[in-house]
Amino acid sequence: MNHAILEVDGAVRRFGKRIALAGVSLNLDSRKILALVGPNGSGKTTLLKILAGFLKPTSGCVRVFGMDPFAFRARVMVDARFAFAPPAWYPQLTARETLTFLVGIGNGAVDRTDRARISHVLDSVGLLERADDRVRVFSFGMRQRLALAQAILPTPKLLVLDEPTDGLDPLAILELRAVLRRLRDEHGVAILLSSHLMTEVEHLVDTMAVLHEGSLIFNGPPTELLRDGQCLRLALDGTTDVVARTIALMREEGVVVAHQENGYVTMPVGSITLAHAGKLADRCGAVLKEFHEQRPTLEAALLDRLRTARERPPSSSGSTTPSRTDEC
Amino acid sequence: MLMRFEMLKLSRSGRPVVAAVSLALFLVLMLVGFYTYAQNETGGQVDFRYTFENRSYFNGLTFAIYAFYFGVAMLLPVFAAIEGGSQIAAETAAGTIHTLLARPLSRPKIFLTKLAVAVIFLALAVGFFLLIALLIGLLAVGWGDLNLYPGVLQMTSRPQHLTQSEALVAFAMAWPAATITLLAPLTLSFLVSTWVRNPVNAVGVSVSVYLVLYVIAEVHFFRDLRPFLFTSYGSYWRGLFRSDVYWPGVLQDACKLLAFSMFFLALAYRRFSRREET
Repeated sequence: MNHAILEVDGAVRRFGKRIALAGVSLNLDSRKILALVGPNGSGKTTLLKILAGFLKPTSGCVRVFGMDPFAFRARVMVDARFAFAPPAWYPQLTARETLTFLVGIGNGAVDRTDRARISHVLDSVGLLERADDRVRVFSFGMRQRLALAQAILPTPKLLVLDEPTDGLDPLAILELRAVLRRLRDEHGVAILLSSHLMTEVEHLVDTMAVLHEGSLIFNGPPTELLRDGQCLRLALDGTTDVVARTIALMREEGVVVAHQENGYVTMPVGSITLAHAGKLADRCGAVLKEFHEQRPTLEAALLDRLRTARERPPSSSGSTTPSRTDEC
Repeated sequence: MLMRFEMLKLSRSGRPVVAAVSLALFLVLMLVGFYTYAQNETGGQVDFRYTFENRSYFNGLTFAIYAFYFGVAMLLPVFAAIEGGSQIAAETAAGTIHTLLARPLSRPKIFLTKLAVAVIFLALAVGFFLLIALLIGLLAVGWGDLNLYPGVLQMTSRPQHLTQSEALVAFAMAWPAATITLLAPLTLSFLVSTWVRNPVNAVGVSVSVYLVLYVIAEVHFFRDLRPFLFTSYGSYWRGLFRSDVYWPGVLQDACKLLAFSMFFLALAYRRFSRREET
């Protein structure tokens, strides 16, 4: 039976009365990168901890490699790597010792090939020259690089990174992006990352899941979110009456006008053609000065989504009182 | 591999050095105490420097057994609690428990390895303390036969005489015996460290509980509670310093202490295996 690498179905997690996750569902297959996006306290880390088997969902079904991660955490971790933020290391050990032991814990022993791979990975994250320094003297960015190094050693089938770009310089972020792409494309690794950096998400991921107050408010490719945020923007020149008449005429023609202010009119993309808009304006004595599709940045589209979710009544944002069930 | 990892972490943590220096310092202070006691009590009128009694009673072995008595009752339980408390709570506080759990390691393996490291550390600390006590006794006073008399410390209920070699054998046996005594505070601290998320709290709570139980076990008013307190059996190792050791009693008390330790460990394991890592 084929499973997605990661399956979350109606996952709910409560901490006392507070609902951290309110029925989240998402999947991740191999060779895909999924970004988990949302404001602080939206439930991202809670979801990652559930996937790591650190927390149990109050209800709902969570499967990693087809297994319950809380009950079979050690088996899940054979093929999964997690790097949580902020990266926590043993300050008294060196970077090389840390990696040697973490690899050895999984393998039972560390042979010459493993040692060569450790050096190679340390080199690839830019830590080879500091490999024998104790972690206590590492900067936050270096600790983050070490977190990435341990996460890809050995190459997993599932890689989960919590805020992997935090503390990294722009060059390191570029390198990280290249590493993640290579893991996905060459090794077929499924990658789940939580991030605040929308440029990162836009350029890297296949799918993004947006969490807001524990609810999933968007789950799809970033292009879809961008498309949803696109609109047609028209500028009409003329007296107030003329502009109002033109807009009224457009509505009569079945055009959905989303917003209008000072002669500027926004409407969904494809609502009207340039020729038709010009004709209607002309008929009412107005001049069509601008006609263009407005493409928001991913950040703006996300903020728009979040704003909409915030304005929605609580019942529709998933803050119900779920009860414990066994849905798996 | 995990065992080597834990041992390396322990050796680099500085705790062994702090423990060694503290234990050695405690012994030096004990020696100063013995040295000044006679001077203070007699106004400096005694020839012998260390106690009221003459050299036929007091020697390096007497110093070692009294130092060991105080060490096992008061100082070593603190180090046992520190070691037990810093195993799981420290990992939780630092977030490194996530690093460990994000590897294919079962919770029983983590638990047992950490326990083994703490027990090894404890056994070495007890052995080190005993060895240094004997060494200081030898260098400062010199060894001889060991004579013990009934007194306020209840070292013995009737006078005991052990030759030097008999006494040294008793000291050798006292090492594992005292380690068993100290397993109870260590496992208690281990238990607390699976509940609290800060090692300081784990150690503080454990030491406080130990001291309260120690006092309760010593107060006559609570005599009915004594069988249920592990601190009531903590000094059983003194039974080894008899010319005729009553083995059934010694073994029974050792088993009771081990039973207390197992009980604390069972609770600790239950908690650790089921707890969530928030």
